[in-house]
Amino acid sequence: MAIPYFPGCTLKTKATGLDSSTRATLAALGVELAELPDWTCCGTVFPLAQDNYMGMVAAARILINASKEDDGRLVTVCSFCYNVLKRVNYAIKNNEETRTKLTQYLEEEYAGETKLVHPLEVLRDDVGFEALQGKVNDKVKGLKVACYYGCMLSRPASEMQFDDEPENPTIMEDLVGAMGAEPVDFKYKTKCCGSYQVMKTYDLVVKRVREILEGATASGAQAIITSCPLCQFNLDWIQEKIAEEDSSFAKIPVLYFTQLLGAALDVPAEELGLDKHYVDPKALLKG
Amino acid sequence: MAMDDLTSKIRDISEQNPNLCMQCGTCSASCTGIGAMEQLPRQVMRLLQLGKDKALESSSIWMCTTCLTCTARCPRGIDIARVMEALRVINLRQGNEVLVLEDIPLELLTEVPQMALTSGFRKLSA
Amino acid sequence: MPEQKMVNIYIMGKQYEVPAGVTIMKAMEYAGYQFIRGCGCRGGFCGACGTVYRKPGDFRLYSGLACQLQAEEGMYLSQIPFYPANRSTYDLQELTPELSTILKHYPEVTRCLGCNQCTKICPQGLNVMDYIAAAQRGDIEKAAHLSFDCIMCGLCVSRCPAEIVHYNVGILCRRLYGRHIIPKAQHLAKRVEEIKSGKFDEELNKLMSMGQEELTKLYDDRDMEQ
Repeated sequence: MAIPYFPGCTLKTKATGLDSSTRATLAALGVELAELPDWTCCGTVFPLAQDNYMGMVAAARILINASKEDDGRLVTVCSFCYNVLKRVNYAIKNNEETRTKLTQYLEEEYAGETKLVHPLEVLRDDVGFEALQGKVNDKVKGLKVACYYGCMLSRPASEMQFDDEPENPTIMEDLVGAMGAEPVDFKYKTKCCGSYQVMKTYDLVVKRVREILEGATASGAQAIITSCPLCQFNLDWIQEKIAEEDSSFAKIPVLYFTQLLGAALDVPAEELGLDKHYVDPKALLKG
Repeated sequence: MAMDDLTSKIRDISEQNPNLCMQCGTCSASCTGIGAMEQLPRQVMRLLQLGKDKALESSSIWMCTTCLTCTARCPRGIDIARVMEALRVINLRQGNEVLVLEDIPLELLTEVPQMALTSGFRKLSA
Repeated sequence: MPEQKMVNIYIMGKQYEVPAGVTIMKAMEYAGYQFIRGCGCRGGFCGACGTVYRKPGDFRLYSGLACQLQAEEGMYLSQIPFYPANRSTYDLQELTPELSTILKHYPEVTRCLGCNQCTKICPQGLNVMDYIAAAQRGDIEKAAHLSFDCIMCGLCVSRCPAEIVHYNVGILCRRLYGRHIIPKAQHLAKRVEEIKSGKFDEELNKLMSMGQEELTKLYDDRDMEQ
């Protein structure tokens, strides 16, 4: 049975590699995803003003549509989508006023039944990391990988409940280990990359990005993996800009965790989308 | 805005009480805006405790990335991110547009993943 | 002669008694309004006469086209014959059918809140929010198909909190689709080549040099069903 899947806008354009590699890797492990038939942008950010219901409408509609499929779950991989959908779901479930306002506006019945699931959780719970060990090839064996979680997967901990230790999540490291690669101790794993400030306070983002990249290299990493297209963009595109200014800057490829997994599972190259990166990761994955 | 007005408006929109803040500085130490913000979260909280309009006029609230680290670590359990958002929202609802579309370089507009545009507009523009 | 049933409607807040069942456009003319704007084909196709109205005791907003809507008792209406729109200029031949084109000309589509007011007000019953959502993720083909029946009346524009001009995004998508995505009609291309190569020049020149009598005879003797 296929699990309902919400790709999100960016996965249909800038981050097609994340979309195709997520589908391909899960399919290779026996998990089918079924894209929701009609969907709109999720809204990206959870509105933090208590009277802003409009910012929750799009996410609420998506959750309601997902609840109409037979499965009960909704898989989404983009960290922003995952965060806003999960937080809106939590608000509907736990806040009566939010639930009433949204369901009345959308003229639907819904009380938060849909369960948000991230592909990392699918890999841990439905596939199992131990089972995964027996299915991977040698392509990433021994590769030193820094796992970059960013902000949106684990915060706020009370609502996201992603991994046991929100300040030090390990689910991506466990996945990396199961693939045969080597996770490094990376202290910037949940530090913010600067996010949408790339549109406004660009220099701040350059600062944060540089710290993260240098932190990863200092820990001995050969690559950084992430789940968020905006993190990936900031760490990758800005890295090119930094390197243009400073020829001594040591570049480090930034890819999606599903692309790394795809390489380890013999997923065909065209489904991994490795050509769209600014800092080329292909050389690392030859095995 | 009178002292009571600003504080009560912030409390309404954020559902947080700035008076709970004990000025420990954990938020400032964790903030993504270090090195760019003129007033870090602890200072903004202090301005709010004193009912100062300077909090509303702070340029720092526009450099926030809503990373939620401050909220995650506040020992008093204050959702500081919501307080920052309330300050932004009061400004935005008066029509201030901080992220101006025409000022975004074309290269960035077409290269950046559109989630940056969507989130940027929602947080920084009316 | 049976008595004509009359109904009371309110045009821009003023009450008028008009024949029941006539279109709003006819009702307004009956009431003495003369249309020099807000009226076009009178056939539900040109989009000039977008109208919004409410019913007594009902807070909801309804919409339609003045040339199609029928007058009902208590209708409280106004026309929105024009709503200011933002239109980008472009050379279709130079555009590429992808998201960056949409973002370059109408980046405000990323401000869409998903409120669905555009869909609710559309007099054609189109899924306006859905075609904007498709445009926002670069699915030009879907946006073109979903917006196909749009008559560009502008009612959606009047409702949008994100200040998007939906129909301009739609027509850009349809133009991109028609010019750059849809497969070229092979038989048309072939015919155009034939014309360019002069295949029909002789026949055309013959016709051009014929006198009226000859042409009339040719026309009268043409192949037709009796």
